[in-house]
Amino acid sequence: MSVKEILGRFHEIAADPKAMKDKYLSEGREIVLVNYYTPEEIVHSMGAVPMGAWGADVKINEAKKYFPTFICSIVQSAVELGMKGEYAGAKAFIIPSLCDSLKVMGQNWKVAVPSIKFIPMTYPQNRKPEYGAQFTKAGYERVISELEELGLPRFSDEKLKASLSVYEEHNRVMNEVSELMASHPEISNQERSDVFKSAFFMLKEEHTALVKELINALKEQKPGTDKLKIMTSGIICDAPDILKILDENGLQIVCDDVCTETRQYRASYKEKATALDSLVSKFCDMDQDTLLYDADKTRIDYIVEKAKKTGAKGVLLLLTKFCDPEEFDAPMIRKACEKAGLSVNIIEIDRQMVNYEQARTSIETFRDLLNG
Amino acid sequence: MYTFGIDIGSTTSKCVVLKDGTEIVSSSLFVGGIGTKSPFLAREEALKKAGITDKDISGTAATGYGRNRTEDADFNVSELSCHALGAHFIFPRVRTIIDIGGQDAKVISLSGDGKMRDFLMNDKCAAGTGRFLDVMAAILQVPVNEMEGMAQKAQKISQISSTCTVFAESEVISQLANGVEMPDLIAGICDSVAGRVASLAKRITIVPEVCMSGGVARNGGVRLAMERYLGTEIRFSEQAQLFGAIGAALYAFQKS
Ligand code: SF4
Repeated sequence: MSVKEILGRFHEIAADPKAMKDKYLSEGREIVLVNYYTPEEIVHSMGAVPMGAWGADVKINEAKKYFPTFICSIVQSAVELGMKGEYAGAKAFIIPSLCDSLKVMGQNWKVAVPSIKFIPMTYPQNRKPEYGAQFTKAGYERVISELEELGLPRFSDEKLKASLSVYEEHNRVMNEVSELMASHPEISNQERSDVFKSAFFMLKEEHTALVKELINALKEQKPGTDKLKIMTSGIICDAPDILKILDENGLQIVCDDVCTETRQYRASYKEKATALDSLVSKFCDMDQDTLLYDADKTRIDYIVEKAKKTGAKGVLLLLTKFCDPEEFDAPMIRKACEKAGLSVNIIEIDRQMVNYEQARTSIETFRDLLNG
Repeated sequence: MYTFGIDIGSTTSKCVVLKDGTEIVSSSLFVGGIGTKSPFLAREEALKKAGITDKDISGTAATGYGRNRTEDADFNVSELSCHALGAHFIFPRVRTIIDIGGQDAKVISLSGDGKMRDFLMNDKCAAGTGRFLDVMAAILQVPVNEMEGMAQKAQKISQISSTCTVFAESEVISQLANGVEMPDLIAGICDSVAGRVASLAKRITIVPEVCMSGGVARNGGVRLAMERYLGTEIRFSEQAQLFGAIGAALYAFQKS
């Protein structure tokens, strides 16, 4: 397949996750919903398909019964989709306790969508010390037993080991393709987003195979004309209108600190006595993330260094409305970038945005600013 | 060489004819923005005042929220870039521009040579915008342009603690019911707008000279309150509402 054809396939998958869910269900596979840093490797090792549930750009009506107004639209829209039957057929939803909104979401899911079991994954605040690792492991064991109770095949450490290899390879190709896409300005920001987003709706081995095809095809393709390089940061960066505005203004995302993009692929597994311990080590080694306790705020330096290294001239901070963890970091990011000579543009986004005119003005001005 | 700048905002349409990038030959301002006849009328009037026709114009740039729906423009430029150019044209030493428009507020920081170095926008919230003043003026049944004069008569500026326009509305009504004097209340409303925008401005390092642009800049009550909040003098020009259109005409000149 050509680069365009492969990218077209990624787009189809990213734009219609329900079709993928129905495909796997028709093949007799069990589906378990996951988001943020859920131990999806466990789900994979137990023969089910872990499927991302990050909400979507939908009008929120039903879910409002369960949430206050000032809560992020990612959790609200995920519950809305659940209530409207978009996830029908899924066995369970593993929801991690990584922020206040997610904690509330788990409780509400239990009542709002009783047909899909809520499985909590409680992470420790302090993940670095040994007791943090033990706490994480206990959480994973609880997830395993709840999945077994639901009728999934019994957990085996051997099978988890095999799944970790699948995920390790996926991590590797995602990092490779991310770098490669940065050197191909002809790939639009929408296409780049599709590559990342589709990973949540496919078995990782299938996604890896498609990404490898893209890597090979891209290596054969002559890079297009240079654009204005930027870095993105935030929880999500998948709104087609925002991506289109970036494309129209000649801005190219060359690297990111986006939770649903490369933040997923930064850490890898350490060799440990068991595969489950290796999985624990990955979570404990994760860093530079808004959702993970980071007393020294290493995320701030990470953003500056990454932007400089990749030649990004500015950082676009996509602040999810009512996301406290991200909002707390925003002033620090702005200050650090300013000090390093990087321009910053902050745009507030949410899953219910219909009017992008102010975002357009902001992005156009950002482009003017970067052009000097 | 004549160039033309048109700024189609949310509530007004402004035009400027510029000669050789240095002289403002004519300008016009019509109430009514996107989706109204005002952009057309403003254009006609500015050309008429300048004594020229479309054919004499070497380049036109459009800015403001309606910029993308203007067919006559050669360039579409964001209003922040235009306000930066326009403000620097009028005040060559300006380093910080506070623009309060009909539906949003923006703060622009310039380098010594007039280049934009940073900007911030408040969006999706009417508090701290011209809209807030309009809503309050309607409740108090005072024309917006009389608010400044009344605010100057205030003995004790009342406190509007709500940051949300909807809540502030009921707060103002209850203050009225409690017998708060109109001038005190109006001064409190101006103070509230200034306070909101000043806190946005403080996120950018405020470097003097500071000027205000946009429709709300005409309100001396807000300007004075802003000076108090920022602890610096705020420059004001009678052309403050035209900065966007001036910047657009300048942009067209630079590109033509
Ligand atoms: S991290 Fe932010 S965006 Fe994500 S669920 Fe929590 S509050 Fe919402």
